[in-house]
Amino acid sequence: MIEAVLRADGGRITAALAARFRDLDLAEEALAEACARALSAWADAPPANPAGWLYRVATRVALDSLRRSAVRHATALPEPEPEPTVEELMTATPLIPDERLRLIFVCCHPAIHPDARAALTLRLVCGLSAQEIARGFLIAEPALLQRLTRAKRKIADAGVPFEVPGPDHWGERLDAVLSTLEVAYAHAHADGAGTGRHAGYAEEMLGITAALAAMLPTESEVQALAATVRFAEARRPARVDAEGMMVPLADQDPIQWDAQLITEGRRYLAGVLNRALGARGIQALIHAEWCARASLADPAPWPAILTLYDALLACRDDPVTRLNRAVALAEVRGPAIALEEVDALNHAGLAGYLPYHALRVDLLARLGLTDAARRAYDAALALAPAGAERRWLDRRRSKCMD
Amino acid sequence: MHYMILIYEDESVYGDKNDTPEMQAIVAKHWDLVSDLGDQYKTGAGLAMTSAATTVRTVNGKQTIHDGPFAETREQLGGYYVIEADNLDDAIAVARRVPVRFDGSIEIRPLLHPPGK
Repeated sequence: MIEAVLRADGGRITAALAARFRDLDLAEEALAEACARALSAWADAPPANPAGWLYRVATRVALDSLRRSAVRHATALPEPEPEPTVEELMTATPLIPDERLRLIFVCCHPAIHPDARAALTLRLVCGLSAQEIARGFLIAEPALLQRLTRAKRKIADAGVPFEVPGPDHWGERLDAVLSTLEVAYAHAHADGAGTGRHAGYAEEMLGITAALAAMLPTESEVQALAATVRFAEARRPARVDAEGMMVPLADQDPIQWDAQLITEGRRYLAGVLNRALGARGIQALIHAEWCARASLADPAPWPAILTLYDALLACRDDPVTRLNRAVALAEVRGPAIALEEVDALNHAGLAGYLPYHALRVDLLARLGLTDAARRAYDAALALAPAGAERRWLDRRRSKCMD
Repeated sequence: MHYMILIYEDESVYGDKNDTPEMQAIVAKHWDLVSDLGDQYKTGAGLAMTSAATTVRTVNGKQTIHDGPFAETREQLGGYYVIEADNLDDAIAVARRVPVRFDGSIEIRPLLHPPGK
């Protein structure tokens, strides 16, 4: 119960607490303490508004903690608030102010080390565990925890403001925010079946990108990211089949895609097309190309996808882009050429990245290299993939055993 | 909050003395900024060239005196401001206005306590 509430509203609660008290550690600790109290307080029946209960109790915990440290340091005491009754707590429905955008700008401040920004946003705004973030970032958990601690201390000690910056500073602040949201969304999207820990905040990503797009109607990269998130989310219903197996994009039935989200995505994209395209603009075009497919009877748009990935590579050359391009390359020019590209990438850097192994399983199996395919499968399995991906890998593996 | 703003530049761009025309020109710009900052400015100073620097170093409890700055770097500490600012963004806005002749780095460090306490 508590975990479900945290998944849905933890980011919002943390953001509201952080914005109010201007202290990330205090916000996190107060929410953790509120959760601990909920264990016994909710034992009989949960409150009418569980998220509101957590927010209210965490606020009191934070105020108490500030009062205690004010006594220790003999500084001005925050005003005590009347203690709510248990009855009041169980039935009240306090509004939690939405401060997530503000918290994102704190987490993505250019004074914070770039490696820490996305991790901090995922932890505080999206409520992911350090373990999940560490896996996504391909680093060890203790290193990640240290990164988070250091970043939070920097925010507190350096006086990073809890404000959304003024328009003069959008340029420099925005790219950091967009990259962070991309990483965050990649996590939400990676969970194909939508049943795992991250599925809930894909919804938040729609909200956050819409809010940013509304604030910055002329920033094409912002509009493009809002479009991409919608195109990708539109396909969620088709990403897993009736048996719970992952369905690759080209095999998804467009009938199952969410037409409403695709329309919304096209609307955001329309604002981008008459401007110079950045990497996010090209990515949105790639998604739009797929979402333009009306039925499985239409040929998959692989040649157009490959051309767009070539363009993307010109402005964003990284291993993940190359990996995605290799998928299209395999369809247009064959699996052998694609495998050559994939195997030229830095293996050590991608060893913890499931799509890398999944693509290798697929390419090797198609080339009839069964022993190598099985080894790639085992490497993928070692990463403990979610059910849908695992079933797809199982299918691939049994195919190459035949 | 109070912040110290530390100015790092390659000091050789000002010549080899403390009163070259280049130095006088930059000092005039600093005074313009100081008067613009008004109450936000608490204190500050330009530093003499590192050729005038002396370092007292303690290693294992033993003190030794050395000629020169603490570290030989491409850019040297050449001056500082202490300012009062609402937050880091406010301090960054001041740091952006600190004049440098060519290349330079302006480091912003919060003070643990208000100056003089």
